[in-house]
Amino acid sequence: MAIGVKKVARPRQMSGGETLYLLEILRGLGVTMGHLVRNVFRQENIATIEYPEVRRVMPPRFRGLHRLMRRPDGTPRCVACYCCATACPAVCITIVAGESPDPAVEKYPVRFDIDMLRCVFCGHCVEACPCDAIRMDTGWFTPPEHTREKLIYTIDMLLEK
Amino acid sequence: MSGLFDLVVSVVRVAVMLAFTLSLVPILVWAERKGAAYIQDRRGPNRAKILGLTLGGLFHPLADALKLLFKEDFIPDGAHRLFYQMAPMFALAPALMTFAVVPVGPPVVIAGREVALQVADLNVGILYIFAISGLAVYGVILAGWASNSKYPLLGGLRSSAQMISYEVSLGLSIIGLVMVFRSVRLSEIVASQGTLLWGIVPKWGVFVQPLGFLLFLVAVYAEANRTPFDLPEGESEIVAGFHTEYGSFKFSIFFMAEYVHMVVGSALIATLFFGGWQVPYLADSGFVLPGGAALGLPGPLVLLLRIGAFVGKLLFFAWLFIWVRWTIPRFRYDQVMRLGWKVLLPLSLANIFVTGLVLLLIGGGA
Amino acid sequence: MPNFTLNGISVDVPEGTTVLQAAKTVGIEIPHYCYHPNLSIAGNCRMCLVEVEKFPKLQIACNTVVTEGMVVKSDTEKVRQAVTGVLELMLINHPVDCPICDQAGECGLQIYYMKYGLHKSRFAFEDKVHKKKVQDIGGQIVLDAERCILCSRCIRFLQEVTGTSELEFFRRGDHSEISIFPGRPLDNQYTGNLADICPVGALTSKDFRFKCRVWFLRGTRSICPGCANGCNVEAHFKEDIVYRLKPRRNDDVNRTWMCDPGRLEYKKANEARLLTPVVRENGGLKAEAWEAALSFAAFRLWETVEAHGAASVAVIASPAFSNEELYLARKLAEEVLRTPNVGFSPRSSGNGLSDDFLIKADKNPNTRGAQLLGISEEKFDDIVRKIEGGEVKALLVFGNELADFPGERTAELLSRVPFVAQVGTNEGAVSLAAHAVLPSASFVERGGTFTNHAGRVQRFWMGFPPRGNARGGIEILVGLANRLGAGWTFAGEASVFRAIARSEAPFAGMSYESLGELGQIAGGKG
Repeated sequence: MAIGVKKVARPRQMSGGETLYLLEILRGLGVTMGHLVRNVFRQENIATIEYPEVRRVMPPRFRGLHRLMRRPDGTPRCVACYCCATACPAVCITIVAGESPDPAVEKYPVRFDIDMLRCVFCGHCVEACPCDAIRMDTGWFTPPEHTREKLIYTIDMLLEK
Repeated sequence: MSGLFDLVVSVVRVAVMLAFTLSLVPILVWAERKGAAYIQDRRGPNRAKILGLTLGGLFHPLADALKLLFKEDFIPDGAHRLFYQMAPMFALAPALMTFAVVPVGPPVVIAGREVALQVADLNVGILYIFAISGLAVYGVILAGWASNSKYPLLGGLRSSAQMISYEVSLGLSIIGLVMVFRSVRLSEIVASQGTLLWGIVPKWGVFVQPLGFLLFLVAVYAEANRTPFDLPEGESEIVAGFHTEYGSFKFSIFFMAEYVHMVVGSALIATLFFGGWQVPYLADSGFVLPGGAALGLPGPLVLLLRIGAFVGKLLFFAWLFIWVRWTIPRFRYDQVMRLGWKVLLPLSLANIFVTGLVLLLIGGGA
Repeated sequence: MPNFTLNGISVDVPEGTTVLQAAKTVGIEIPHYCYHPNLSIAGNCRMCLVEVEKFPKLQIACNTVVTEGMVVKSDTEKVRQAVTGVLELMLINHPVDCPICDQAGECGLQIYYMKYGLHKSRFAFEDKVHKKKVQDIGGQIVLDAERCILCSRCIRFLQEVTGTSELEFFRRGDHSEISIFPGRPLDNQYTGNLADICPVGALTSKDFRFKCRVWFLRGTRSICPGCANGCNVEAHFKEDIVYRLKPRRNDDVNRTWMCDPGRLEYKKANEARLLTPVVRENGGLKAEAWEAALSFAAFRLWETVEAHGAASVAVIASPAFSNEELYLARKLAEEVLRTPNVGFSPRSSGNGLSDDFLIKADKNPNTRGAQLLGISEEKFDDIVRKIEGGEVKALLVFGNELADFPGERTAELLSRVPFVAQVGTNEGAVSLAAHAVLPSASFVERGGTFTNHAGRVQRFWMGFPPRGNARGGIEILVGLANRLGAGWTFAGEASVFRAIARSEAPFAGMSYESLGELGQIAGGKG
């Protein structure tokens, strides 16, 4: 849609009847009562989603909680290249690399922590990943926890998702 | 024997009135929350369950009350300890006391004695109401001052200015009514409203004093601190106004006081302007329509109808309080003052003048 | 002085200069892999192709000597196409495993690919020739034969610099690879340089392996504190952790090389550091604020001087400290404490390893500086004798150990002194015995100068502020002296060095500006 000039109506001079307000107040009461009656008799039209029982269906490109992918043999796909940590604007990814016992893998993440409290869910990590090891397609947003520590997701938690 | 009878009757009347008023509070809270939700296209409270029943959220006020009861009862460090604790009582007690003079039905005869269905049938009923409800402002001002905190103080100041301003119009708006019915005794005012005007229209206060009714309605809203006059609370400007520093049960007493004010205000509107317990065309013997047709009804049924009519009118006006709250936004402070002093006050004076003039012309009223 | 034209710029160069070197002097970058300024010219990577007028074919800039009137162009489309082609050839069998490669971020292939490549591979991954990865070939080096572009820098280094020739090309064609001879791993003290000179990720450091991605690192110019040679290095660190040392070119000291033990010197800046002032009173250790710790140490020194005379106080300086700190330590002893007992020991713990190239037996970076500043070596044994005789009542020790004494000997000696204050960087025998530990900054956490074995005064720069609660030695010494009533106004190492240049003959006329990046030989005798 092209950007255009939108004419905004200036407040006009009120008529004598309007300045009395009585009729306008009655009309206002009519509006609210109309909503009330409609919502009492057609509850299915209320937009509220009753959250824990009913969940909003997330669009396919929704960026939710991260998960780490596995290779067919079950080991993490991540090779600890630090690309996600480098791309992360919130500096929420902590990686410690280690020497893999499998020489074909060579490098693997000993630690891979995401601080969900810092994460801004921008998805840069997913874009940066050269191995398709990290995805944000769980459809979940961060659940509440009682301590900050529980919101630092470790590699095991990320692989489980 | 007669003394004992009077005592029992008095105690029962007080107990019933108190129970009636207080039991309306949770129902109104529920109606407020649920009504607000539906007006705003939400669902409202529907989670609290007892035995798997939610009853449309009716248990939420109960859960709230329990929660507030069990919360820590604290007093802020800088608060004036005595006034801080007195303020909630000052808020609730006058509201409850006002209800004493409201007749809920016609006098009934029990064991050969006439018993008025009101706690006290004072001959100065209306004056009593003004005297007692005038005290209500102390609760708010005390709370605001004793909290020793900026927002409560602002809320208290607002309420003092507002309540004093609107009390003037409140009083003046009823003068016309008193002139018409020639009594300040509420039971007489209600009884007078049972007659018909020109043989058709019930002689309700709203029909003989339409302007007086409007002025009284607005002033009552202002006195009850309800939207659009809830400036003392003003949550979007001064946090929670006078009760910012209150918590647990002290807060809940303020909360109850607000709803009792609503109940009393509704009862007064119904009594003064809508015939109280009167049902149009219903005489002691049954319905007597203007055309001459009549429907005989047994005495107890008439009594029940009349009490039911009073409760129904009361509930309607209580609902009107809620309904208005979710329709009209809060006034700005200068608007409140302008309305009070420059609109309501002249109009109520004019109303008295015109009423007097009319009464003079038609020869001392009907 | 031949004159030639490079990309339209007229350049005068000395006789025998190659086009590539000449281009560098005028700031024109010619891509190259096999050329290295301190190695012989091989000319086998073919990246430095340039167009030379009247030559039918492109020439390699690294091996084309400039002649009078030569017209060279390095920015033509023809050159560009040729370089792109060479790069594509090199990348044919490259595994492109940058995500796991430690070279990523400082890799020649990545740098030139972004400039000259940016092409899609025309070679299917399955068709690539695979070679052996992750080979431990000894020393500090891991070999990945697949990533090698066969530039032969490593082979030339081992032939020409160390003379040990452990690496060689094997096999033919696209199966060519470098490797060691069976059962003959790298065996010299300079293997770490192979990781530096390898332009790609074929030879990488075992020590640095997977520790940190290079783009997180920041660097500061420094001097290796590992021995008296004073190799110029670059210290790479992230936040306050040092990750590696890399040699910095200084043809008068270390050219572009450094030894393997020197590369591990950075660990002392990370591990077992003294990070907060500690005071030992009534048998218990207590972490103290700086002001309190300094006042405590100064008070005890003053008390001892008052009670037993200045001769009962001794200062043991350390050749591991900078010229500036040693100068202030001497000044403190002579002018403030007025004690004759100030000395240092050139003997230091360490393996005593030395060779005739870069490794010196003296493992202190600044022995020569201490000598030039007139701090006595002979006094050290004298002070030790006095300690044994119980004449020393208060001792100010610099450094983490006393000479090359074993731990028990140090503990035994220091237990004879009623009050020992230490200015040091790391935990050790001295910090266990000291009554006041004043933690000082490591070599990357402060600036200053070291004087190497040949009397060359070289600067090192501060990379990051001292870790934890440590402080620079100058700050500590000024704090101590001023609490003893000295009224010093030194602020920062430059002001101290100006004072040294004014009052110490060997340093006369020097300034930080004249030292520059590469240092200056101290005048005078000694």
